[in-house]
Amino acid sequence: MKVIVPVKRVVDYNVKVRVRADGSGVELTNVKMSMNPFDEIAVEEAVRLKEKGIVSEIVAVSIGVKQAQDVLRTALAMGADRAILVDATSDVNQDIEPLAVAKILARLVEQEQPDLVIAGKQAIDNDLNATGQMLAGLLGWGQATFASEIKIADGSAIVTREVDGGLQTVRVSLPAVITADLRLNEPRYVSLPNIMKAKKKPLEERTVAELDIDTTPRLKVVRTIEPPQRSAGVRVSSVDELIEKLKNEAGVI
Amino acid sequence: MYLNETQEQVRDTARDFADEVIRPVAEALDREERFPAEIYEEMAKVGLFGIGVPEEFGGPGFDTLTYAVVMEELSRGYASIADQCGLVELISTLLVRHGTDVQKKMLPEIISMRRKVAYCITEPEAGTDVSGIRTTAEKDGDGWILNGGKLWIHNAPVADTGFVLARTDKEAGNRGMSIFIVDLHANGVERGPKEHKMGQRASQVGGLNFSDVRLGRDALLGEAGRGFHMMMSVLDKGRVGIAALAVGIAQAGLEAAVDYAGTRKQFGKHISEFQGVQWLLADMAKDIEAARLLVHSAAVKIDRGHDATRSCSMAKCFAGDMAVARTADAVQVFGGSGYIRGFEVERLYRDAKITQIYEGTNQIQRMIIARELMKKGARA
Repeated sequence: MKVIVPVKRVVDYNVKVRVRADGSGVELTNVKMSMNPFDEIAVEEAVRLKEKGIVSEIVAVSIGVKQAQDVLRTALAMGADRAILVDATSDVNQDIEPLAVAKILARLVEQEQPDLVIAGKQAIDNDLNATGQMLAGLLGWGQATFASEIKIADGSAIVTREVDGGLQTVRVSLPAVITADLRLNEPRYVSLPNIMKAKKKPLEERTVAELDIDTTPRLKVVRTIEPPQRSAGVRVSSVDELIEKLKNEAGVI
Repeated sequence: MYLNETQEQVRDTARDFADEVIRPVAEALDREERFPAEIYEEMAKVGLFGIGVPEEFGGPGFDTLTYAVVMEELSRGYASIADQCGLVELISTLLVRHGTDVQKKMLPEIISMRRKVAYCITEPEAGTDVSGIRTTAEKDGDGWILNGGKLWIHNAPVADTGFVLARTDKEAGNRGMSIFIVDLHANGVERGPKEHKMGQRASQVGGLNFSDVRLGRDALLGEAGRGFHMMMSVLDKGRVGIAALAVGIAQAGLEAAVDYAGTRKQFGKHISEFQGVQWLLADMAKDIEAARLLVHSAAVKIDRGHDATRSCSMAKCFAGDMAVARTADAVQVFGGSGYIRGFEVERLYRDAKITQIYEGTNQIQRMIIARELMKKGARA
């Protein structure tokens, strides 16, 4: 069976993110970029399914600027078989919105006919947590989000989901969209021999125009601000005082 | 900057591995002076041994620049672990260049650390002056009989296979030495006690004694009498590796010092606001960058087949001296804390010292640089 794994190029999770002086977004110039950590988990899961003999082909897809080929190379080094880069903008500061991404992915799904899409549950840049759900909606497929365990059997996926109340297990018929949560697995380090091998794997470039998808933004970023500085704590002398402050000052109880 | 996409990918892998797996345990490994087999097993899975070994023998086949980048990153985690990578690199380079087809079959075992190796050159009377070795291999039918003693050999307490430099012709000077591949579990091999060192304490170092060790026909690496030449042929790469290792130690010191200076408060402000501390940090950063560029330029010369001897000696010498001076600065930024066991910079300062000594002392490197100047002229 064939799996598509969408991967997004985002600011590396180790980078201390700074807001641009004009408040139009976060600073991306000379900032280290890498694969969205949840997408790494999705790639890892697809590779593990391939190692178990369940999956036969993994196609990694990235949508955005040309530089996103570096995250595709990482996906290939982790074990994806081929990659598709959809050139959607030349502006590194333009975020392609979830609906446009989902439409592009839906078009690729039509062409590639995979049995499964495994995506990260959200990207750590804007944390929208929407693409996987929208893709399932557009395709009319079942979806299982926030997966912490995936089992494939008899034409369906049994997925354990991390929900507020604990763990929920659902069965979705394939084809389906699954989104990966943090505890699904621990991604491997790409090995040096596999980095070399990945250079020889196919990386196909497509364009939004050719796929005929409208990526015009529908959302407008009004303002981006830094979170407020954490102020120093206060020492209380008794439990009573603590309760009093929580009630009257913090207003949390 | 000048690294290509693949080299950056390799650097990121080595960096992540060092940050997540190596650096958190460096302090414990230093304290316990222990051979970290479990880390080497993980490194082997990620392909962090045998960086230059061609794909046909199970390696990634990367160039010297990529090797230098990996060495720096691993050393930023812990120098002892980078030094194991350097040792495997030298041995596997020797095997790839000079080994027979049968001998090369060892390569996958060596770069997966299933077979631990030792490079056995130094002797009590032959340190910097290798021509003084007294270990002999005498022809005996098809094979040889090995006798002698080696000292301060990295991995000697744990290694399975030694690559031993021995004299095969007493009259022929540097042309009378050969390298033998010796099973260190064989009869007649005796291991001395483990040395307790100032730094790089997870590296297991000790002596080896050979008494009438019988070697088969296949034990000879390359041609008889070419041992010294073969050893010299991998020295350039070895020096680049140790230079990169020294840069990694200093880089770890800089990172620790910058973090500390930005959090430690005295006189009501962060000590990073004092110019005296700022100058220490600035000098560390600029010397580290200068050393790194020397290392990379020497590596690129090797990769392009240029004469790299002077560049490699300059890189090794400068980087080693720099690492000692700038880790001392890192200790200075930490003040009293930096002198206390368990603080990273205290270990880094101890780990740095040997980089002025091994892989050719920095005095020898200066002699080589001067000799090259006299021989080939002052122009770069």
